[in-house]
Amino acid sequence: MSEPSIFFSEVNQRQGVFHRRAFLFGGLAGIGMAALGGRLAYLQLLEASRYEKLSVSNQFNFRLTPPPRGVIVDRNGVVLATNRPNFRLMIARDDSARPYETLKSLAQFVPLNDARQTRLVRELKQAPRGTPIPVLDDLSWEQFSSINIRAPELPGVTADMGEVRVYPHGGAFAHVIGYVAKVNKDDLAPTGPNSEQIMLHPGFRIGRQGVEKAFDLDLRGRPGAQKVEVDARGREVRQLPGGDIPATAGREIKLTLDADIQTRAMEVFGEESGAAVMMDCRSGDILCMYSAPSFDANKFVRGLTSPEYRALSQYDRKPLFNKAITATYPPGSTFKTMVALAALSAGIDPAQTRVCNGAWAWGGRIWHCDKHHGVMDMHSAIVTSCDIYFYQTALAIGPDKIAEAARSFGLGQIFDIGIPGQKAGLVPDPAYKRRTFKRDPVWHPGETPSMGIGQGYTNVNALQLCVMVARLANGDKALHPRLIESIGGVQQPSGAIAEELPFPKAHIAFVRSAMASVTETGTAAATAQLGLGSLKMAGKTGTAQSHTYREGERTSRSLAWALKDHAWFVAFAPYDDPRYAISVLVEHGGFGATAAAPRAREIMRVALLKDPQLRSRIEQPTPMPDIPDQPADGAAPEDPTPITQPPSSSTNPGAAL
Amino acid sequence: MTVSALTRPGERDRLTVKLAEIDWLFCFVLCLIAGTGALMMFSIAGSSWQPWAANHLIKFSIFFALMVCLAMVDMRVWFAAAYPIYGLGLFLLVAVALIGEVHLGARRWLNLGPLGSFQPSEIMKLGLVLALGRFYHSISAQGARLSWWLLVPAAMIGVPVVLIAHQPDLGTAILLSLTGLSVVVLAGLAWRIIVIGVLMVVAAVPPMVLFVLHDYQRDRILTFLSPEKDPSGSGYHILQSKIALGSGGFLGKGYGLGSQSQLNFLPEKQTDFIFATLAEEFGFVGCLSVLVLYGAVIFLALQAASRTHSHFGRLSAAGVTATFTFYVLINGAMVMGLAPVVGVPMPLLSYGGTVMLSVMIGFGLVQSSRVHRYSEVTSGKGALL
Repeated sequence: MSEPSIFFSEVNQRQGVFHRRAFLFGGLAGIGMAALGGRLAYLQLLEASRYEKLSVSNQFNFRLTPPPRGVIVDRNGVVLATNRPNFRLMIARDDSARPYETLKSLAQFVPLNDARQTRLVRELKQAPRGTPIPVLDDLSWEQFSSINIRAPELPGVTADMGEVRVYPHGGAFAHVIGYVAKVNKDDLAPTGPNSEQIMLHPGFRIGRQGVEKAFDLDLRGRPGAQKVEVDARGREVRQLPGGDIPATAGREIKLTLDADIQTRAMEVFGEESGAAVMMDCRSGDILCMYSAPSFDANKFVRGLTSPEYRALSQYDRKPLFNKAITATYPPGSTFKTMVALAALSAGIDPAQTRVCNGAWAWGGRIWHCDKHHGVMDMHSAIVTSCDIYFYQTALAIGPDKIAEAARSFGLGQIFDIGIPGQKAGLVPDPAYKRRTFKRDPVWHPGETPSMGIGQGYTNVNALQLCVMVARLANGDKALHPRLIESIGGVQQPSGAIAEELPFPKAHIAFVRSAMASVTETGTAAATAQLGLGSLKMAGKTGTAQSHTYREGERTSRSLAWALKDHAWFVAFAPYDDPRYAISVLVEHGGFGATAAAPRAREIMRVALLKDPQLRSRIEQPTPMPDIPDQPADGAAPEDPTPITQPPSSSTNPGAAL
Repeated sequence: MTVSALTRPGERDRLTVKLAEIDWLFCFVLCLIAGTGALMMFSIAGSSWQPWAANHLIKFSIFFALMVCLAMVDMRVWFAAAYPIYGLGLFLLVAVALIGEVHLGARRWLNLGPLGSFQPSEIMKLGLVLALGRFYHSISAQGARLSWWLLVPAAMIGVPVVLIAHQPDLGTAILLSLTGLSVVVLAGLAWRIIVIGVLMVVAAVPPMVLFVLHDYQRDRILTFLSPEKDPSGSGYHILQSKIALGSGGFLGKGYGLGSQSQLNFLPEKQTDFIFATLAEEFGFVGCLSVLVLYGAVIFLALQAASRTHSHFGRLSAAGVTATFTFYVLINGAMVMGLAPVVGVPMPLLSYGGTVMLSVMIGFGLVQSSRVHRYSEVTSGKGALL
């Protein structure tokens, strides 16, 4: 290009075009920059508050904190279920972290075997992202702090302090109170209270049985929230204590139970199977409701291993079963009180006598009695528990009258005591047979004598029998049992607000006096003596067949446990001023007088000794001697007045007990 | 210095004179921008020089020195190197299409063994500008306005753009075509062709989007049109960037206090979205200041280009300026939610060596054209080719 092919004017023209275009370009670039500036102004000045909110909601999260579960106490405020602090270790899935390596390094500080690690990795994979799963509970303080210090090296791992449910009395209240356990998928109903977010929290526990289940919502409380700063991965950067919403603890539930009585019931049962229910026969409060054998509810909170669960569920004495309300048994001779009452109201003269020869042929069958009682009137028939008398009396009045009496005393009924699992049992009558047995809808006459001794179709639970005795002891009101005294300080309706019993008081008094004789001279004379001075217990034994015996089998001593009779004892005390009613069942325990009555006696003694008014009767203290009035204000006391010592405690019958 | 002294023969070739001719105000502004970038990187690293801020400053210092050195290079050398550089870029683009490394689904990188890998498209940014400048240097104003000669620049732009778009690297392809077209327009293309071209592009965009683009590219554009549809997926970048910007407000949240960037809500916070970080922590005031700095760079570079006597110098310097301008505008628009997310960084502010290197080499050319504004690249005896 050495030749000037481009002329000067050409050059100028090119330059001129370039300058104009460059100016234009600069202008367009300026407009572009101005547009950016305008956009900035729009976003940062006009829309700033909107984006500010979005930024804050990005930055901060509210992390739910589980509320402390409500405490459950007995009637005297003794804690039956509470929470204790628990250092626990959790791990959350985090896409930057490889959980297996994290768990490996975690295992240097806390015991985590390989199998557990593998299981945790699997659980982590199934858990939703960001939801922590528990690794270990109950860390020691050393473990807790060593993990917390190393938190940056352990992505996704958090060690925090939560609460865990604890039942200080172990098994004594397990059936009534139930237990709490981890939330499973079935609990997470899509709607209603169980859809609460907090249920996904690894520390959350849901009530599974008894009071814990029935009053779960009351006990649950309202979760709090902790304001935390999170990064884009949702990991917690730091906590901001200023923004916390405190959790509201669950309501306290006060039961009518008495921990001392309940504990004594547990002791007297030992490994026997059965149930004991005690009620205050003035208020209807249930003071004791124990089912034996029991189990340690604390283990359920922790989570049972499958061998542990198998051991509980396959044991033939059925520890997981609340025998006080869920199991029904024939009431046996305890039912004779109802037959007697029905007979009295049907106009049968209690002085009318029947002869017991140990057996009675009627209706083509031989009806047996356990011995030859001889001439029996109603009183002595109850005292000696003569079957022949009641076969005949039942036949004389018919099943409907008996059923009516039994029902009005609470048998065959379900009571609203707050906890689930009650079985109604059955008080049969011809109408029941018509309803239930389509092929044989007739009440055969032969069924009446069985009913007269509390066998046959008759089935009741321990709570019902206790209600029956409580109503008998009360003599006036058809008491309702009450288990829940108050919820969060709100008193629940008393069981004493009830209708009058539809029986003349004299009739009830007759049955009561017969029951008093049972423990004095009758079937339970040897085993139901309280030994508490003037306090006497009135009761009735019952021995209920658990199956139909073959010839001569019943007398066999080597009978298998599961074939033995059920032993019943129902009682109330003190006889002259009834306060406590009790029913004790010993499943396959044999005779009511020997298996159930001593246990009832022991439980009853605790109740009587605890009662401050009765205690004074037991101890019979001498009246305090008069002490002269102290001199007025501040004057130095003169020689101390010799205070007469009360009589030595050895003269006090109650103190030795 | 006096004018008379510079008119003496050979005086302008003295190194001290050349150094003095460099636009030091321009250099100062560049330092301010790069320093702001380092400041932001220091903040988002949690008040730490590592991993970005120190690195950024070191690179900038090296490239700044390189720019000054390149400013000393005579325009005739640039002129002579124009076609070879373009040729090399084209060769490497073909090579990368054949043997390039696939990284994140795109074949953009050439492995240079121990030197690491680089993207040949960066060479092409400079090569295209130089080659177009050299081509237009030799044709008349009429030829540049409307003639069959224009098929040559069309091919010069088209071939590398198609190669880069094929990689696929839509952002660079758009940037490169915009740069090339700017040079063509600056050289004096007839207005009616410009108008027709713009209309054709507008008409071609919807079918391009529907049929030619890769899925992820299409997603980006659709996302841009409605980012709220998928806030945690493909709309995440735009939404978080807008939140960062908007929440900055007038004065910003304060240095080191930007929750969006500090807590990683903002993706690519140290590279493509560093402007959002700046906006969050320094607010409208900080952003506008930086935009003014960029405006100053563009103005000063265009001024240098306009004052250059040689047509080659003018066009290539203006072309480099155009590249820079498009970087700023595209990145700004992207960060502010005005454009789809394409991988275009904010030059000098964003972390990343490659773009900074190509921008600083380009500014070396701009300063060279300023220093050598009076030299005539094609005067017979001075011609290198």
